[in-house]
Amino acid sequence: MIRTENLTKVYQMGDAEVYALHDVNLDIQDGEFIAIIGPSGSGKSTLLNLIGCLDKPTSGAVFIDGINTGKLNENGLAEIRRRKIGFIFQQFNLVHTLNALENVALPMFFAGVKRETRLKRAEELLAKVGLGDRIYHKPSEMSGGQQQRVAIARALSNDPEVVIGDEPTGNVDTETGNTIMGLLEGLNKEGRTIIVVTHDAEIAARAGRTKRMRDGKVLD
Amino acid sequence: MIDKFLLAYRSIREKRTRSILTVLGIAVGIAAIVSLMSVGYGMEEAITGELMGMADMISVMPGKITGHTYVELGSFTDRDVKDVQRISGIKDITAMTYDAAEVKYRNKRAPVFIIGGDTKELGSFYVEPVGIKEGRWLRENDFKGCVIGHRVANDFFDDIIHVNDKLIINGDKFIVVGVFEKASTLYASDVDPFIFLTLHASKEALQTDEVKYIMVRVYDIDEAEEIAEEIKEVINDNHGLDDFAMAMTMGSMIEQIGTVFNIIRGVLVGIAAIALVVASIGIMNTMLMSVMERTHEIGVMKAIGAKSSDVLSLFLLESSMVSLVGGVVGCVLGAVAAKVISLSAGTALGIEFGAVVKPEVLLGGMAVAMVVGVLSGFYPARKASRMSPVEAVRYE
Repeated sequence: MIRTENLTKVYQMGDAEVYALHDVNLDIQDGEFIAIIGPSGSGKSTLLNLIGCLDKPTSGAVFIDGINTGKLNENGLAEIRRRKIGFIFQQFNLVHTLNALENVALPMFFAGVKRETRLKRAEELLAKVGLGDRIYHKPSEMSGGQQQRVAIARALSNDPEVVIGDEPTGNVDTETGNTIMGLLEGLNKEGRTIIVVTHDAEIAARAGRTKRMRDGKVLD
Repeated sequence: MIDKFLLAYRSIREKRTRSILTVLGIAVGIAAIVSLMSVGYGMEEAITGELMGMADMISVMPGKITGHTYVELGSFTDRDVKDVQRISGIKDITAMTYDAAEVKYRNKRAPVFIIGGDTKELGSFYVEPVGIKEGRWLRENDFKGCVIGHRVANDFFDDIIHVNDKLIINGDKFIVVGVFEKASTLYASDVDPFIFLTLHASKEALQTDEVKYIMVRVYDIDEAEEIAEEIKEVINDNHGLDDFAMAMTMGSMIEQIGTVFNIIRGVLVGIAAIALVVASIGIMNTMLMSVMERTHEIGVMKAIGAKSSDVLSLFLLESSMVSLVGGVVGCVLGAVAAKVISLSAGTALGIEFGAVVKPEVLLGGMAVAMVVGVLSGFYPARKASRMSPVEAVRYE
């Protein structure tokens, strides 16, 4: 379960203070599929980054399974990123010197999993997202949709409870976007919590619950 | 662990040209150190090697060396020679007389140093190591015969002097019975510019019987220092002076040369070290650029679970691998360069010496390369490890 309490993130832009998030209180149940929708600058990506432990709040807290992430040090946060959360980015963000198999195996590598196990599981995951025949291809040899699917497989690398997507369909065509959303729905059916941020209402509609955001605040 | 190497290797290979240039930078620095050290060792051995053959010799002179010049304080007497001969442990001894004389050949006059001594003893000291080119060595009864050094024969006079030619030394006629080969560097100063006469003849020609030089050979090299001290004592006693005679063992000479070469090597290495400093600045710069360029990649890695220490070790591994390769290449280049330098320098200077590539130097070179790699890579690696994931991911 993920819970935010008066979550606030403030950026210093020269003399001005910018409130990217302002007192956000959000409760996300286990196994939910939630979409956060809002215009550019509404703070949705910032919210995602804080929930995903990529960043620390200015004030307020994020609780993951009862643990206050603000009290964790760098290694503690890395641990959560490694085990509990799988992140999918808009720009795919695969390591381009590695092939698909190695990319998917990467989080397991950081988790200290043995080589044989890593590669075997990576192959399984790639098959699951329909890329079993492209495991040795490098990102430069794949389409955007294929890259994003590799990214999804990578996000599942350490079998996380939560999968977070920051505009996962933002850089692909509609058909591929559908495929990706289908994959996420499938993951949700497996019992994983899915949190997606998007500006596309159609995408948001496929989630179980939608929350709107504007100017750093969650609207009810 | 192997996979960390693979990951690092992939990143290095991606920026092939840049990596190669960095490797070259280190290689040049290491090559400079290795080659200069090896050439230095080679030169030292060439010189001490020849001296080792004379390790059982002690040179005794009536004077002392102040600063860089030898100051003659007097001369030895026959009594000195007899007393020294009595010291135990001495195998051979020869006393020499020398002085400048006016020598005339055909129509040219020149001042030349004449050396006179016991023919057999002088012979054993010089004939074998240097070699006679023409004619023969002196015999005991060669009252009017002389043997001349290479430079006397070829350089000092207008014409080249051969066996059976006549020389006039201080007004007396002498006939050349032998000409020495050109001596190697070590004996060059002892043989090339001199004319050798029997002790008897030199006493007459030079109008003196002063002994200016005693050469001693000992049985046991380890006793050389001791015997040298004894010789000094005996002679000093005879003359009633404290600091009259000087007895130099080959061992102490070799030591002195060793010290000089340590200094030379130190200077050379110091210069090469400058090259290394430049190389390591280059590496740090390259690694910093690499870290900046890969900000996004670092952010992603942290987002998928890499710890700060993972990122640190990854970048350190990269710079270490590059510098290790640089070290190996540098050692190879250095060894080759050393051989080339010693060959060409040897030809130019007219001496034969080969570079001595010691395994310690090679190991040292690689170790230095690694240290350079780790040290110069550390700051950039730390910078990378400290990047905040969210900033990095956002960085385009």
